[in-house]
Amino acid sequence: MIRVEGLSKVFRRPRTFSGPFGTVRTLFTRQYEEKLAVDDVSFEIDEGEIVGYLGPNGAGKSTTIKMLTGILTPTGGSIEVNGLVPWRERTANARNVGVVFGQRSQLWWDLPLIESLRLVGALYDVRHFDKALSKVREILGLDGFLDTPVRQLSLGQRMRGDLAAAVLYEPPLLYLDEPTVGLDVLAKEAVREFIVETNRSGRTTVMLTTHDLADVEALCKRIILIDHGKVLFDGAIDALVNQPRRLVVELESGTRTYDIHDDLPGMVATIAAEHTIRDLSIVEPDLESVIKGIYAR
Amino acid sequence: MTRIGLRLALAYRSNIVFMMVTLVAQVFLLRMIWTAVYGARTEAAGITLPQLLAYLTLANLQVFAMNTQVSRIISHRIRTGTVFFDLARPVGFMRQMTAFQAGNTLGGLLLLLPVVPVVLLVGSITAPAHLPGYVVTLVLGYAITVELALLISLIGFWTLETVWVAVLFRLVSQFFAGTMVPLAFFPGFLGALADVLPFKYMGYVPAGVYIGHITELVPTVLGELAWAAGLALLLQLIWSRAHRRVVIQGG
Ligand SMILES: Nc1ncnc2c1ncn2[C@@H]1O[C@H](COP(=O)(O)OP(=O)(O)OP(=O)(O)O)[C@@H](O)[C@H]1O
Ligand SMILES: [Mg+2]
Repeated sequence: MIRVEGLSKVFRRPRTFSGPFGTVRTLFTRQYEEKLAVDDVSFEIDEGEIVGYLGPNGAGKSTTIKMLTGILTPTGGSIEVNGLVPWRERTANARNVGVVFGQRSQLWWDLPLIESLRLVGALYDVRHFDKALSKVREILGLDGFLDTPVRQLSLGQRMRGDLAAAVLYEPPLLYLDEPTVGLDVLAKEAVREFIVETNRSGRTTVMLTTHDLADVEALCKRIILIDHGKVLFDGAIDALVNQPRRLVVELESGTRTYDIHDDLPGMVATIAAEHTIRDLSIVEPDLESVIKGIYAR
Repeated sequence: MTRIGLRLALAYRSNIVFMMVTLVAQVFLLRMIWTAVYGARTEAAGITLPQLLAYLTLANLQVFAMNTQVSRIISHRIRTGTVFFDLARPVGFMRQMTAFQAGNTLGGLLLLLPVVPVVLLVGSITAPAHLPGYVVTLVLGYAITVELALLISLIGFWTLETVWVAVLFRLVSQFFAGTMVPLAFFPGFLGALADVLPFKYMGYVPAGVYIGHITELVPTVLGELAWAAGLALLLQLIWSRAHRRVVIQGG
């Protein structure tokens, strides 16, 4: 479905000058600052997968997604999405993908939600608009606020509106860039259910960016971790988290940790025979600490 | 997109209604001033007072109706980054924005319609000297106006600060459209300048045709067509450069 090879993106910005006439110099400068936002990224995503695309702030996630939608041209490498090269066949590619940028909204602020959905219907030539609408309306529970101006919606309602706009024309692919940002627990739950439902019923492929690892645990079997524009890890979450539990013991000489393999009582007995144990605890492997460990490397 | 433009015009109706009050006031003041200026004279530069008053009324109505919102919308969408959604659509950005402006104008007209009689009453109107000519020059003038507005808003892809450009553009365009003083009264150099600028097509040209001051219709319409076509070409060119810039630099 998605094939990315050696992808990179360099942003070139005119150098900014400070001091007197700084703005004018900035306008006319021939000096540029370069920023390597995505650096030799390769991955493949199959049809029907939900993949978490994770990384700290500024890692290059949104930039990758913008290149996948075709609104940014790569500096190097190649992308193929559903058999198309997004930046070259932008229009055809646009029909295949739905995008949500959680930090921004595609909805028209001063108009009722329904107007933005109608616009999407018109731009993507949705034939049976009412049918498509009633479908998203049901799974996203839009009923109470279709006629409310978007600026009066709560963040959770607005996000549901944005999701509706992204799936109204049933694209086989969804790019969700922080779709749960700022939402409360219940609203997050609703968004997650929606993603699972869309993925299951329509075999929709989902690429998800989020800083909430609970989203990842609830939705993704596989994650791709990036930082400074480079892929650090690509694989199943199970493989990451499927590590031994650890025993943390506080001794008089300091704190020590041991991997627990099978015989926990035996391990404790052996340690106790040689040292005085002040305290002990067992740490379960969890995604957050594993990921932190990878970033720290 | 047309529908969005229309709905937005209606959503901001209080704004437009407020501006209509200014329109009525302006037409009234112009009538007072020009009646006083003419005094006992019956005509100046081949324009009689009734003609002139009809001209001023129409020119102001036209410029009001042709007031475009598209630059404001585009600059807002660039600044907030929502322009990325527009660019991800299967329909071209320029087409979307043109449709938006068409709808917005339509919405403005719906609001303006009930006020037109008031404006005509406060100002003054005569029978048209050449109605088809008026309609043609007016429609072409509108096309030119929208093209200019789109052109101005594309500057936003290079510098994020476009408010001053829009304000300047508005002042200059209204002045050279001839809403206060018909271009026929502009002295020497200023008159020549007004004549080469396209802003006359918003006000002076259609209104001048209406009152029978401009009678050479064919060259007028041809000139207007040339402007519309030239601007369309320029727009394509600048847009493709602006688009390339976004695509490479990310806004
Ligand atoms: N238009 C641009 N011009 C210059 N630099 C940019 C531009 N857009 C992004 N960058 C830089 O590229 C890097 C990657 O940005 P990107 O938005 O892809 O990060 P991200 O992984 O989405 O981060 P976050 O989690 O904060 O959303 C950042 O260092 C950012 O400052
Ligand atoms: Mg981001």
